[in-house]
Amino acid sequence: MAEPFKNTPPAPEDNGEMTAANIAAALAGESQASQKYLAFADVADDEGYPNVARLFRAVAYAESMHARNHLSVLGQIGTTEENLKAAWGGETFEIDEMYPAYGAVAKLQENKSAQTSVRYALTAEKDHQGIYDSTLKGVEGKKDFGAEPVRVCPICGHTVVGDAPDECPVCGTAGSYFKEF
Amino acid sequence: MDEALEKRLPKTEELNPMTKESLAAAFAGESQAAEKYLVWADQAEDEGYPNVAKLFRAISFAETRHARNHLRVMGGINSTAENLLAAFGGESFEVDEMYPAYHEIAKLQGNHQAVRSVNYALKSEVDHKGMYTDAREAVLTGKDIEQQPVNVCLACGHTIIGDAPDKCPYCGAGKELYRTF
Repeated sequence: MAEPFKNTPPAPEDNGEMTAANIAAALAGESQASQKYLAFADVADDEGYPNVARLFRAVAYAESMHARNHLSVLGQIGTTEENLKAAWGGETFEIDEMYPAYGAVAKLQENKSAQTSVRYALTAEKDHQGIYDSTLKGVEGKKDFGAEPVRVCPICGHTVVGDAPDECPVCGTAGSYFKEF
Repeated sequence: MDEALEKRLPKTEELNPMTKESLAAAFAGESQAAEKYLVWADQAEDEGYPNVAKLFRAISFAETRHARNHLRVMGGINSTAENLLAAFGGESFEVDEMYPAYHEIAKLQGNHQAVRSVNYALKSEVDHKGMYTDAREAVLTGKDIEQQPVNVCLACGHTIIGDAPDKCPYCGAGKELYRTF
């Protein structure tokens, strides 16, 4: 984070229950707005509106800043060790509870695209859970994650440490499309 | 998007209400995970874990893929003209209803940091609402908006078309804290 800004975001505070619930709802709203605008930016590019696409990306960034501020007020920006634990916990809930339940409902109701979208996510969250688990163990011993690249499938979010596969094992997208971090 | 990729995405489908509710909740979860991981990446960098930061950014990208897939299945990604109307609607709700209500409650409960976080967001959403109105007018006549930089304050999300001001009018951050799109 830029040095001059470090101490200025709204700080964690002992909030009233109603206020905490509201800031949590605002975090959800800002996060969703940001994701929508990023998706809308891609559509605008496809339709030949590059400047509208740029506007959407700029506003998505602004919403991310609001999300970060709300997260700070809620006291959810911890140390990296704490953040990894929270990340692992979130992924675990999605794997053990949320996506199996949503997958079952989508199957019962025969909503096929919804089943695909849920399956893509559930499979990738398992990748994430494993990577967070080993990374947390490293950080507990003050060890950074490895220097090797992390590659992500742009369609289903399948996440691998190291080389991309020839073909995504989850959705079949060619490995050449994977985004490298 | 590349056609080879496009055909692998889960398609928009007519959803049963329970499945729709499930996907909407999953969209909210993925969006928030994506934002949290970006913030935690900055934290990891500050603590001297550049590779953990890279990991958080990669997994954040994976969550944005899930968010986009869910949104698409729910029919939330449409033409740019429609997307701009949806974006305007979201900003209007935040400006007219959500943030004024949250502001009053945070003030009543004496939660000053929450008041700050809400005010920063509320002020920028007013900017966004105006920009989306203008962009929609242009797109409805088949025109892109003008090619001008969009500057966003990293501290509070203040968004301005054209040059960044010397000092942010909402939070007082210096020009160097603006990010240009």
